[in-house]
Amino acid sequence: MVLIINTTSNSNMSEILKGLLNQKKTDFDVIDTADMNISHCMGCGHCWLKNPGTCVINDDYAGIMQKIITADQLWVISDTALGFLNHKGKNVFDRILPILCIYLEFRGDQMRHILRYDKRTDIGIIYQGEANRNYLQQWLDRCTDNLDSKSLGAYPVAELKEAAKCMH
Amino acid sequence: MHALIINGSPRVKQFSNTDKILEKFTAGLRECGCSVEVYEISVRNDWEKIREAFKENDNIIIALPLYVECVPGLLMEFLEGLAPKDENTRLSFILQSGFAEGAQLRCGENYLRLLAGQLGCKYGGTLVKGDNFGIRFAEGKERDKITEPYRKMGQIFAQNGDFFSDECRKFTGPEIFPLPLRLFLKLLFKTVQRKNFQKVATKWGCTKPLDYKPYKEK
Repeated sequence: MVLIINTTSNSNMSEILKGLLNQKKTDFDVIDTADMNISHCMGCGHCWLKNPGTCVINDDYAGIMQKIITADQLWVISDTALGFLNHKGKNVFDRILPILCIYLEFRGDQMRHILRYDKRTDIGIIYQGEANRNYLQQWLDRCTDNLDSKSLGAYPVAELKEAAKCMH
Repeated sequence: MHALIINGSPRVKQFSNTDKILEKFTAGLRECGCSVEVYEISVRNDWEKIREAFKENDNIIIALPLYVECVPGLLMEFLEGLAPKDENTRLSFILQSGFAEGAQLRCGENYLRLLAGQLGCKYGGTLVKGDNFGIRFAEGKERDKITEPYRKMGQIFAQNGDFFSDECRKFTGPEIFPLPLRLFLKLLFKTVQRKNFQKVATKWGCTKPLDYKPYKEK
């Protein structure tokens, strides 16, 4: 399943992707979070040490987490700020933390957290606005290393169709 | 010298590892005659005040924990509301993380270099160091052992006005741990460390195993 989380208020992108993926008969789920309540991660550590795997914040992210752990691909659509994802896009990544356990291991030559679930979800980014694409690619590579999955790349909105070709 | 210091951690001050680091760092600054004002972005009501201070000051340090390889979402939200400045303002960073190796923080550091430019400021470098996860769980001398080295970094910043010196660079420690140490840590991760984490969890009132799966995998 391809999970698309659109954190922008541009629902047009969601509609275009739905059309393209229906044509391809791809199994997908699009979540528009513009009207949702998704807080930032407070770094409280409860998802690691008090209530393992569950975020203490009771907002709309819980439903998203349930879907991420069964998705083959996660695509985050985000506005940009200061050359990077804006805070709404970054919050979606920060809140993914309960997917990891506090336990550590070495993967390659660096320490990483052990994945809580068996599923490995590859991740792509579609960004709307000015951003440093090279940096976003580098950052996404690191993020997906942490999640033991693969980067699907960072695409500006102008390349929405190219991104859609990678969704399967 | 006067320095504006912004603690970019989303955690409340009491539990903020970055705050404990800044206690020592600012002590070092003060010992060398530098005056400081410190704000926390975890206090959202202070944001306007902090943005005003950002506008007024020309020597600014943002201290932050690495969240998913970059700036925490809450700090990002704060930064989005800043008015860009000019080259007369020097913006430096203290980047800290739980992961221990220097290589773990480089992606975050690369963004901070970009960020200084995005805000129109002159980049004063980033003091990079990991292995700080334990600060919150340590007290007294045990905590000082982790945070005390930051005092010296404060003294150096008071002298140089940036983090570009060799001493600051070496402060990071090894980029990657050598193989024998990795093999030893691997063993530790599977045994002693698991028990220690479980002990802390029990203290926090946790009744489940730490690898518990609350969501169903279809």
